[in-house]
Amino acid sequence: MTLPFLFLEFMTGLASAASLFLLAVGLSLIFGALGIVNFAHGSFFVLGAYFLFALTHGDATGFWHYLLLAVAASLVLGAVVERVFIRRVLNRAEHYQILLTYALLLIIEDVSKICFGADYKSIGMPKGFEMPVFVLGIPFPSYYLGLVGLAAAAALLLWLFLHRTRYGTLVRAVTQDREMLEALGVNVPLLFTVIFAVGIGLAGFGGAVSLPLQSISTGVAMDAVISAFIVVVVGGLGSIWGTLLSAILIGEIQAFGALVLPEFSIAFTYVLMAAVLLFRPWGLLGRPPAVRT
Amino acid sequence: MRTRLALAAVVLALLPWFLHDYGLQVAIQALVLGVFAMSFNLLFRNTGLLSFGHAACFGSAGYTTALLVSKLRWNFAATLPLALAAAALVALVIGFFSVRLTKIYFTMLTLAFAQMLWAVAHKWYGFTGGDNGISGLLPPGLLGNPKGLYYASLMALAVVCAVIHVVRRSPAGYTLRAVRDNPARAEAIGISAFEYMVAAFVLSGTLSGLAGFLQVAWQHSVFPDLLYWTTSAEVIIAVILGGSAEFFGPAIGAVVLVVLEAVVRSHTQYWPLALGMVLLAMVLFFPSGVVSLFPRRQRQEAPRAAA
Repeated sequence: MTLPFLFLEFMTGLASAASLFLLAVGLSLIFGALGIVNFAHGSFFVLGAYFLFALTHGDATGFWHYLLLAVAASLVLGAVVERVFIRRVLNRAEHYQILLTYALLLIIEDVSKICFGADYKSIGMPKGFEMPVFVLGIPFPSYYLGLVGLAAAAALLLWLFLHRTRYGTLVRAVTQDREMLEALGVNVPLLFTVIFAVGIGLAGFGGAVSLPLQSISTGVAMDAVISAFIVVVVGGLGSIWGTLLSAILIGEIQAFGALVLPEFSIAFTYVLMAAVLLFRPWGLLGRPPAVRT
Repeated sequence: MRTRLALAAVVLALLPWFLHDYGLQVAIQALVLGVFAMSFNLLFRNTGLLSFGHAACFGSAGYTTALLVSKLRWNFAATLPLALAAAALVALVIGFFSVRLTKIYFTMLTLAFAQMLWAVAHKWYGFTGGDNGISGLLPPGLLGNPKGLYYASLMALAVVCAVIHVVRRSPAGYTLRAVRDNPARAEAIGISAFEYMVAAFVLSGTLSGLAGFLQVAWQHSVFPDLLYWTTSAEVIIAVILGGSAEFFGPAIGAVVLVVLEAVVRSHTQYWPLALGMVLLAMVLFFPSGVVSLFPRRQRQEAPRAAA
């Protein structure tokens, strides 16, 4: 194993971390604010990819502007789903929340099978990333770097939104004290719709930008949602930076785990998740609960 | 209640003689899921803990049976004690670590443990057969005969129901519900909430192992699917669909789920879509499960002081 090889493995890990981050960050945001564990989150990731595929017909030439449309469609879908379904279970026991989002997972799986077919969908490298780059003399798909850049840009935008806009301040506030916000006259139900839509939009964006590297079929959602849970639990439910940190950690563990023990590379991430839950149940960068309930 | 129970027992005992082969297969599947759902609800109802890791107990019992039969040529039925022991051990490990956490953190940790086992079973081709699983496990004798397997599953369901009934009425059952309803107060009067919850988890997991054993006897094979998180989701669906607050709710939910699946699948390939619709309707319109759709006369007569 030479140094350039290890470096490329590191970059591959970073690319899957980028995809994992976009998949998981919305889940974390939604859990932090609404307290909902969204089992359908992986389905919205897959749907984002399907939207892009349907718009481009699998042809990468119009990738960038169709990407915007796919994200817009995910945002709208997220808002509608929150208004129609999620809102009704916000104050219910968590097994109802889980069953409702699981029902959405099942419905989305079959509806997308009906609309798009059950076969794997993929798309070529988007404009600007057709040629590989040479890293220390080894060709490397330049889109891996593009994906990392896109995820970094999304993280930065999200940070600006949360920390530099008034509405972002409200989003952070609602994760801490919903009743106080209501008392201050903030339209919390609308805020929840926006947060859910943004979370789903991020998942759809993640699915769409991952499509050139990872072909998608309806069955992917089942695995994707579990990956998202792991990332979010390791990073800390509700913590954006924790999600980023744990996505990088898990992306790299999977990349290098596949080198060391290919048979058990997925088990490594579960071991990490269990270890974190045992020693820091609130996650690496999450807030420890003030009172154990 | 007693006459209803006796009536149900007579119907269930005579049922195989009125069913076609396919109907009998569906009935066995319903009974096996019923055993699993009743076992799951032992934990959920008495402790309020929503486990997403019961697939681990279910599947580890199934894999134990499959491995002993395929690798060591054990007699199929003779593997039952070890299958239950494996389920108990898995439940002990998961329960020991998980019951310290509460609410969604508990659910996530149990999910992580079960997925860990799934990952091993899914990838360890040399031992578990990976995603090819282990097949050709036809049990000899009684368990290999559909009618025999039906009665064995019915007996298992009766045993599980009896165990749950005894636990529910025992001081330990009351203690568990005390811990569920007010853990701080229970601790304050000297109850070790941790020990009781681990014990409930182990008992629930062991009985789930019985369902796993029967599942293998029914499908003659094991696949990593047995350990996958959707198996845990399925049992939760059965429990909530039937109604977790009623004693036989989970078993009724299992029957409804399995029969519904058989009917829908015979008409269309879109069973997940149909199940999703049913779940949506249930969560939004009849959250107490199908049991709540029946007339409530019986329960209104019951004295309320018991609660």
